[in-house]
Amino acid sequence: MTVELGIEDQAPQLVPLNAIFATDFVQILVPVTTANTMREVAAAVAHHVEGKRVRALPFEKVVFHNGKRLPPEMTVAEAGIAPLDHVRVEYDRSEATS
Amino acid sequence: MALRKREEWQHFVREVDWTFKYVDDEAVFPEWHCGTGKVPREAWQKWEEDYKVSYPEYVATQREKESSVYAVKAALQRSSAFETLDEGWKSSTKMHFGGVALVEYAAVLGELKMARFGLNGAWRNMATFGQLDELRHAQITTFFGHELIGRDPQYDWTQKTFHTNDWVPISLRNLFDGMMIAPNVVDLAIELPFTFETGFTNLQFVALSADALSSGDVNFANMISSIQTDEARHSQQGGPTLEILVEHDPVRAQWIIDKSFWGSARAFAALTGPAMDYYTPLEHRKQSYREFMEEWIIDQFIRTIEDYGLKKPWFWDEFMRGLDTWHHALHMGLWYWRPTLWWRPKAAVSKDEREWLAEKYPNWEKVYGDKWDVLIDNINANNVEATLPETLPWLCSMCHLPCCNATQSRDGVWRVRDWPLSYDGRTYHFCTNACRQIWWKDRDNVNHETVIDRFLAGQIQPMDVGGILNYMGLSPEVMGDDPDYAAWTKDYTGRVAVGLASTGGES
Repeated sequence: MTVELGIEDQAPQLVPLNAIFATDFVQILVPVTTANTMREVAAAVAHHVEGKRVRALPFEKVVFHNGKRLPPEMTVAEAGIAPLDHVRVEYDRSEATS
Repeated sequence: MALRKREEWQHFVREVDWTFKYVDDEAVFPEWHCGTGKVPREAWQKWEEDYKVSYPEYVATQREKESSVYAVKAALQRSSAFETLDEGWKSSTKMHFGGVALVEYAAVLGELKMARFGLNGAWRNMATFGQLDELRHAQITTFFGHELIGRDPQYDWTQKTFHTNDWVPISLRNLFDGMMIAPNVVDLAIELPFTFETGFTNLQFVALSADALSSGDVNFANMISSIQTDEARHSQQGGPTLEILVEHDPVRAQWIIDKSFWGSARAFAALTGPAMDYYTPLEHRKQSYREFMEEWIIDQFIRTIEDYGLKKPWFWDEFMRGLDTWHHALHMGLWYWRPTLWWRPKAAVSKDEREWLAEKYPNWEKVYGDKWDVLIDNINANNVEATLPETLPWLCSMCHLPCCNATQSRDGVWRVRDWPLSYDGRTYHFCTNACRQIWWKDRDNVNHETVIDRFLAGQIQPMDVGGILNYMGLSPEVMGDDPDYAAWTKDYTGRVAVGLASTGGES
């Protein structure tokens, strides 16, 4: 008898992404894994840009995929983000006004 | 004995077609090389060039041109003119030598294909002169660049560039293989002599020549002006070919012009744009890249294709908007990924230079100023490390240039948006809508993998910056760096800078 493994039971797989950080001037290659959370994905993308080409701001960073804002604890696998997909990382400016 | 008048003998030397008795016409002029398509074979009998030339005339003129160029070169050989050239201008020439020398050789192959498979004797004759022209251009460009190797090893990339897997020549190989090596001769004559040579080389060879003279580089100006005189002659293979194609298959004619105009415009934005608006010293700039494009390309080209009964390409609005953004973003990309270049890109964003940019491009500060300010503050905080790349820019699957074209959002913010396409089980990304559309229509002709494709397929090892630079053929003594950081950052020293990365030095 075989048991189907859930996403959480599988070894993390590499997921190379086409990513852009906020108002940066160029899309970049950012490798993440299926096990990474959106918070980690945002940090991985920001690493290449924040404070380097786009001035760092004191707000949380959020990931958008296919036009949808994803929760910070959701993983890449749970979000259904596939290799070569595009993600956008933005500052959550709503915190500043709430 | 008096010489006969030209009109008495010209037809003997240019009308050399005859009817084959022992082989089929298709065997001599196979469709896959000749590409007559919907045009009846006999329609090509009408093909006629405007400016006719015989072989003795050709040789006499070319000899004169060669003597003149090499005389100037010899006279300047012992002068110290090179040492006084600005580093930015030298970068423009390194980019030109590396980017152009072997494209000229590829053009030899394209002209030879037309010299063999052109569908009219006069056309084949003109292409025979054309291939001799291109051979001269490959030689002269290689020779002039080669002479400077002793003074600066980056000039070695004059002959080396096209033999490497650097991302810039991969992009150019993709463009020119599509324009010169892959097409049948009908498409080739419209892509290369008509669109590229009539439309675009004016910009590189006439406009850049003016900048060269102004920058004190007489040798370079002389070389490219000499080349341009050949272009003006052999580029006339395009007009008669287009005229016949338009009559029988206007849809194909429009498509060939549209896609080659777009590809040429992308390449010129990457190379000529930064050379004109950033690398040429401020006091020597004649016009902005946009002004040059408007004067030398846009008005003239549109007038020309409308004369043939064709329309503006479907992407015209996207192209015109790009004149304010493409080359500025590509300049920033070239600068940020400077270790991947064989020249020393100067940022050229001092206060005076920014004023000039803002005057020529009213949105420049809004779209690019904020990013340059962060880069400037990092340099002034002794944090150069933050301004060096740790990953690859995403490269467009069509033009192979970075996906970096911002457009204005409804909220007024300029953002780079994604142009994806899912096809055959994978996702492709494009820098613009038109690149995506051209790729889709031409996908069976696109044969080069981008550096991103190669990296993800494991062709580049180790998978880090060192592995990438090694794959591109860049050694430490050649890889690019800014020639003078202080020149463009000193205006801003001492200002308060927040929100910088904390890597490297103080921040």
